[in-house]
Amino acid sequence: MRGFMNTDRQPLIELQGIVKRFKSLTAVNGVSLSVYPGEKLVIIGPSGSGKSTLLRSINFLEEIDEGTVRFEGHEVGYHRRHGKLHLDKQSVICPLRAEIGMVFQHFHLFPHMTVLGNVMEGPLTVQKKPAAEARQIALDMLAKVGLSDKQDVYPATLSGGQKQRVAIARALAMRPKLMLFDEPTSALDPELVGEVFDTIHTLADEGMTMIIVTHHMGFARELADRVMFMEKGDFIAQGTPQEFFDNQGGNERIKSFLSRLI
Amino acid sequence: MTLFSKPSGRVVIATLLFLWALALPFAACAAPVDPDQVFKNASDIMAQGDLSAAVAELQKIPKPAKGEDGEAYARSRMQIARLEFSLGEMEKASAAAKDVLALYPDNSEAKNFAASVAAARQPGYVTFFKDCLRFLPSLLKGAVTTLLLVVGTMLISPLGGLLIALGRISAFRPVSALCWFVIWFFRGTPLLLQLFFIYYGLPSLGITLPPATAAIIGLGLNYSAYLGEIIRGGIQSIDHGQMEAAKAIGMTYRQAMRRVIIPQTYKRLMPPIGNEFIALIKDTALVSTIAMVELMRSADQLFNTYFNVTALVLAALVYLAFTTLFTFIFQRIEYRAGIYEHR
Repeated sequence: MRGFMNTDRQPLIELQGIVKRFKSLTAVNGVSLSVYPGEKLVIIGPSGSGKSTLLRSINFLEEIDEGTVRFEGHEVGYHRRHGKLHLDKQSVICPLRAEIGMVFQHFHLFPHMTVLGNVMEGPLTVQKKPAAEARQIALDMLAKVGLSDKQDVYPATLSGGQKQRVAIARALAMRPKLMLFDEPTSALDPELVGEVFDTIHTLADEGMTMIIVTHHMGFARELADRVMFMEKGDFIAQGTPQEFFDNQGGNERIKSFLSRLI
Repeated sequence: MTLFSKPSGRVVIATLLFLWALALPFAACAAPVDPDQVFKNASDIMAQGDLSAAVAELQKIPKPAKGEDGEAYARSRMQIARLEFSLGEMEKASAAAKDVLALYPDNSEAKNFAASVAAARQPGYVTFFKDCLRFLPSLLKGAVTTLLLVVGTMLISPLGGLLIALGRISAFRPVSALCWFVIWFFRGTPLLLQLFFIYYGLPSLGITLPPATAAIIGLGLNYSAYLGEIIRGGIQSIDHGQMEAAKAIGMTYRQAMRRVIIPQTYKRLMPPIGNEFIALIKDTALVSTIAMVELMRSADQLFNTYFNVTALVLAALVYLAFTTLFTFIFQRIEYRAGIYEHR
């Protein structure tokens, strides 16, 4: 597993000096990060530490104030005008986003579309695939998350766990190179967490590159190649799950954070 | 007796004239009645307010003998009929009209009068329904115009409203400022004023529009402004996460609006838009001021012609029928639009 830290491979995504400010608050303060193909990175940290903001910056849902984003080696997404960073126009950003799947804490399924409609929507509208092909992709993805029998119902009838699995299928239907999970189980009842973890696990086993923000330490430990701890807008520690959870990297702050969780 | 001993010719003539004048009323008693005098007397009596006495006076004109002219008789009996009608004596009124018809079977005045006496003696609802049938054709013509105006505005204003709403939330300042101005102006001035401006004001700028076009433009703009704000509220009420989820799978702003955001507003927009359209049905009455004959104008014309309130009642019923119909349609659409929320 250490191979992912190997610097002679090209990172899939590479962030450098990312700064994101909200008025007086600096949510992300100069973060740098590289994620290699196939790597599973878990980001943990107290709430308000900037984890979600960082994740959202990766697929341009947040417009950063400073820093660079490299995707497959190319600097992407921003241009500088009057000394300020500006997000590129949609024709540049949208194809980039299409390569990065995102799963939200609150699912954000499209309530007016059936389960199948939700999963088809990306291939159909964004990739402009013929309906039959989009449908087949969607059916495959629903089979993968184990919800083939729910294809014709509306999201309102699903449980939280089922909704999140549909959301994962919707992201996967775009055949993304990178998956971002923003606290995918935080809005779920405890008994529904397992099915979503299992789905993410299956993806991990298939070699999907993923960045996961979570508060579930057991999950982080089981899945991660690397764990990063974020606080006050920056990473203060990182390591393998073993290093991290067994001796907390010798960091008192992490120790107290983990002890409060477990 | 010098006066008598030598009577002059002039004095004799004057005396004779005087005696004749004194005898005149007595002579009249014996002579046949003078119809003109009777009518004059009757109208004097009527002027004093005693209708029964006027009837008695008019009765003095006798039925003409065979071959005699019956014009005065017919006239007097018609007047009696009207007086009795005013007195509420329907039997007598109708009898008087029949007297005339016995003599002149083709007298249209008497015929019409007999018919209206008969109508007056009908129960109220029969009269009402007969009036309804009488007014309905021209009212329905007006109603069709109203319906066309309503449907036309219903087709134009949601599209106009959507454009205004999207313009308002646009990040491009000039567009959002323009849309703000349109809303500000059309919501801030009376619809009546806008219609006047389009129909009477634009010709001075060299643009002359037929009333129907002016009406549709006026209603369309006004309702687009109102719906614009409603639709903007609807769009902004959709959870922000929906836009993010749409963007996250690579959609452009337009695709996200068209496929994800706007379809979700339909259900929640139906109640306020339904409300606006119900108001619209009644607001179309305002276009009667720019020379359009729609439902309200037709009712008004009938009312002024026949002085019959039934025309107005009927117009109210047609408006109610329209609003009820559209309320029902909007309820169905709202139900259909929200079907995905049903568990």
